[in-house]
Amino acid sequence: MVMKPVPWQTGEICGPNAAKAMKSADVLKRDLKNCKKRLLIVGSDALTEKHGKGDMIDYAIALSKAGNMDIIATGGAIKAFVERSYERAKTMGAMELAYRLQHEDWVGPFGKGPYDMIMIYGIPYYMQWTLLSAVMNFGTHITAIAIGRYFQPHAKWSFPNMKEKQYHTILDEILELVGGGK
Amino acid sequence: MKKKAYFKADEAVTGLGRFKGLEVRIGTIVDDEWDEPMGPTPLPSPTDLRSWDHKLLTKYQPSYMPYCQVCCLCTMGKCDLTGTKRGACGLDMKGQQARIVLAAANIGCAAHLAHSRHLVDHLIEKYGPRTPLIQGPGTEIHAPVSRLVTGMRPRTLEDASIIIDYCETQLNHTLSAVATGQEGSWLDFESKVFHVGMVDQLGMEIADLAQVSTLGMPQADPDAPLVESGIGMMDKEKAIILTIGHNIVPAASITDYITEKRLWDQAEVGGMCCTAWDITRRDPKAKVIGPISWQLRFIRRGLADVVVVDEQCVRTDIVTEARKVKSPVISTSDKAVMGLPDRTDDPIDSIVKELVSGKIDGCYISDHSIVGEVATKVAIALKPSRRKMKFLPTKKQIQKMAADCKKCSECIRACPNNQNVMEAVLAAETGNLEPLREVYKNCIGCARCESACPNDYDLHSWMVVAGEADCKDEKYMVRTGRGAIQDTEIRHVGQPIVFGEIPGIIAHVGCANYPGGGDDVHHMAEEFAKRRYIIVTSGCAAISMGHVRDENGQSIYERRSGEFDAGCVVNVGSCVANSHIAGAAIKIAAIFAKRNLRGNYAEIADYIHHRVGAVGISWGAMSQKAASIAAGFWRLGVPVIVGPHGSKYRRMLLGKAEEERDWTVYDARTGDRVVTAPGPEHLFYAAETVAEANVLTAKLVIRPNDTGKGRSIKLSHYIDIHETYYGFFPDDIWKYIRRETDIPITLKNKILAQMKENKWKEKKIPDPTLLKEQVIGGGT
Ligand code: SF4
Ligand code: SF4
Ligand code: SF4
Repeated sequence: MVMKPVPWQTGEICGPNAAKAMKSADVLKRDLKNCKKRLLIVGSDALTEKHGKGDMIDYAIALSKAGNMDIIATGGAIKAFVERSYERAKTMGAMELAYRLQHEDWVGPFGKGPYDMIMIYGIPYYMQWTLLSAVMNFGTHITAIAIGRYFQPHAKWSFPNMKEKQYHTILDEILELVGGGK
Repeated sequence: MKKKAYFKADEAVTGLGRFKGLEVRIGTIVDDEWDEPMGPTPLPSPTDLRSWDHKLLTKYQPSYMPYCQVCCLCTMGKCDLTGTKRGACGLDMKGQQARIVLAAANIGCAAHLAHSRHLVDHLIEKYGPRTPLIQGPGTEIHAPVSRLVTGMRPRTLEDASIIIDYCETQLNHTLSAVATGQEGSWLDFESKVFHVGMVDQLGMEIADLAQVSTLGMPQADPDAPLVESGIGMMDKEKAIILTIGHNIVPAASITDYITEKRLWDQAEVGGMCCTAWDITRRDPKAKVIGPISWQLRFIRRGLADVVVVDEQCVRTDIVTEARKVKSPVISTSDKAVMGLPDRTDDPIDSIVKELVSGKIDGCYISDHSIVGEVATKVAIALKPSRRKMKFLPTKKQIQKMAADCKKCSECIRACPNNQNVMEAVLAAETGNLEPLREVYKNCIGCARCESACPNDYDLHSWMVVAGEADCKDEKYMVRTGRGAIQDTEIRHVGQPIVFGEIPGIIAHVGCANYPGGGDDVHHMAEEFAKRRYIIVTSGCAAISMGHVRDENGQSIYERRSGEFDAGCVVNVGSCVANSHIAGAAIKIAAIFAKRNLRGNYAEIADYIHHRVGAVGISWGAMSQKAASIAAGFWRLGVPVIVGPHGSKYRRMLLGKAEEERDWTVYDARTGDRVVTAPGPEHLFYAAETVAEANVLTAKLVIRPNDTGKGRSIKLSHYIDIHETYYGFFPDDIWKYIRRETDIPITLKNKILAQMKENKWKEKKIPDPTLLKEQVIGGGT
């Protein structure tokens, strides 16, 4: 396992800018303080990723509740939220999101935007990579936090290709942090 | 129409000197018998259809996702283009992304066009310039793309050559626009993308028309033969000749030779990628082994006694790979010589001897007429010794080697599909090959994992060993390419398509860069075929679609009719046959609506965009050719969906459903501006999963012109598919209801409640057009 802030898929090198490596949840404190309109984006891979006793859909629900965040599920992940009767989740395509996040006045499907922060995971690595590239270049009003296990160079903060156990520990720390450290 | 001058001379002496093979052609095809009036844009230049492109590009704006944020195309660079920075030439990030999209479309078009040029020149040489072009019975409107774009009806190979001249000129212009210091606006780059896509469609139509006319392929035949397909179908008792690529000419010389010498009991010919379709179209005794991404899995098994490559989508390390299993390679195309020595002028027996002895890894033969003899002789000579050889490691050997795995994850990090190769290797160490077999199912055969492995493991070969049983079981019957759609078939379905009662035409085309195996293509096709959509297909998608058997052991082609009608699965053929899919949409306008096609591009595209519920899907799109094929559909206003890897094309063309202005059309009857429902919502879209692609497909077939009955049928499917894959009733149905007759009857209460909640108001159903000049009386 690499544990370095380099693109997880080795060919996916991009350009001069790269995300900062998030080695602990605390580094997010300042951004969480500054950004109050937060959106959580959850892709289809979340359905098959475990976290604690549940999966990464359960984690999304917990994060959404703790951090007062709307969820947009992509690639059909919405079905899992519907099945869990979680209503603060809506569906959009990853590519639609990549487009809409470029627009400063986009209020989103809940009508509660414009968002100033996204947290994102679960979209296939390369596709999330391209989405975040759109945000980095054209959606500069957004602070992008990638909370998938692997390094996403176009976010502001991203994990440096985490070991699995460590990754899940930090996820729990983030959960606590967005909830105001309760 | 201008008078044409044309002459050809083997040798001519002029004031400029002595010329060999001189060919002069001025002007266009003379067609005094065609009384259809010429439309406004015959042989359009790169800017003649710019205003039509801009209409589409306003409605569907590019969403750029920079795939590379620097530019290194000239020596003023590298330039950092991130954010709002500009390069030394003045170009910004959006311009650069659009430029790369254009570069890709140019490359794709060039590949098809060079293929087309080669075919036409070769066929002229063989059969003469006056050889008629025949699309088949019931195709009175033959060559619809040519008619639409050029205003000409190509009737002979010579005419075909004139049309390719036009294509080559256009490609030259659009290619030159990519140079530093030429085009600077993303909008104009994008318009040229559409232009070269249109030119590509034209070049493909000519290529397929030329080969169908002369090479004994099915001609617009709904009953094109079922042929054997899959690795398990290859008969190891015979010498096996593997052909890879897209150009039928060298492959045809093989099947011709085998037929002439009555050697079918000794030799097998199997194709991969589009050559597979074209050789089986010509000779159904040949076999379709698999799509492009199956190259390594077949070669590594050592089954090919000789490998003959022509052009496009051939693995560029083919010689290295074939050498590992002692299969000689014969390259036949000047575009893909593969570093092999040229043996074209040598006596056949001496070439055969050299190849059989292993003295050379392979050779280049540019004279296609001798390829068949050389390949067949080599394969038959090598077969007995090669069958005794073992090329793959045993399970025991794999287990032993796996013990040294460094657990470095490099194999996973190299894998485009993020397959957990390392875990599979670690399982193999314990003797469990099942995880490697799973990887094999989702694998696109790129071998990047093994290139990355510090232990130099032949990981893909290990997967092939793990998937041995699956390989042997790959036995299917697939319907080979039929070519064009008949006018009579269009006559039969034109009205239900335009009125929306056949809910849509869905075209599965393109490459095999699947995110999770080829079965997905079958799944998507079956999902919509069973709902009585028309399914058309071509290329590698058509192969993968046929590689699933149902409980009765039948493939989708055996279950479903090849006639262009509701619930069918129609394989038109190889990639160049894609033009028939566009051609079918164009013919609907001509036959059902009696619109003139001749040089009348914008009007017909406008018609198709608003009335023909067609969607293209290229689930495994990977190539620049797929990009140019998609671009041809975009200019016709037909939406295209690609799989998640398609996000790497770096720009989508997306609509904004809530922007009423974007969905406002003219009512051609009155000239009024009328707001329509957002359909089709997007023009180019990468879907993350099959679920998303299915939901989107059901939505993208909606058109402003649907009748009430048609709209309600389309909405019922959309709702059902949405509920199946997303688990809830879609909340945007009210937007698509214009009048109460649009409401699917069984869901009336639910929809009425949604309409009420959203303060729905009845809407007008216009005769929709984006073109002011289409308004009766000229829109004044
Ligand atoms: S083409 Fe333009 S952007 Fe690219 S390297 Fe040259 S100056 Fe820079
Ligand atoms: S060969 Fe298959 S497993 Fe290996 S990197 Fe390519 S897709 Fe992944
Ligand atoms: S790259 Fe090779 S050594 Fe490294 S984990 Fe994969 S199989 Fe093992």
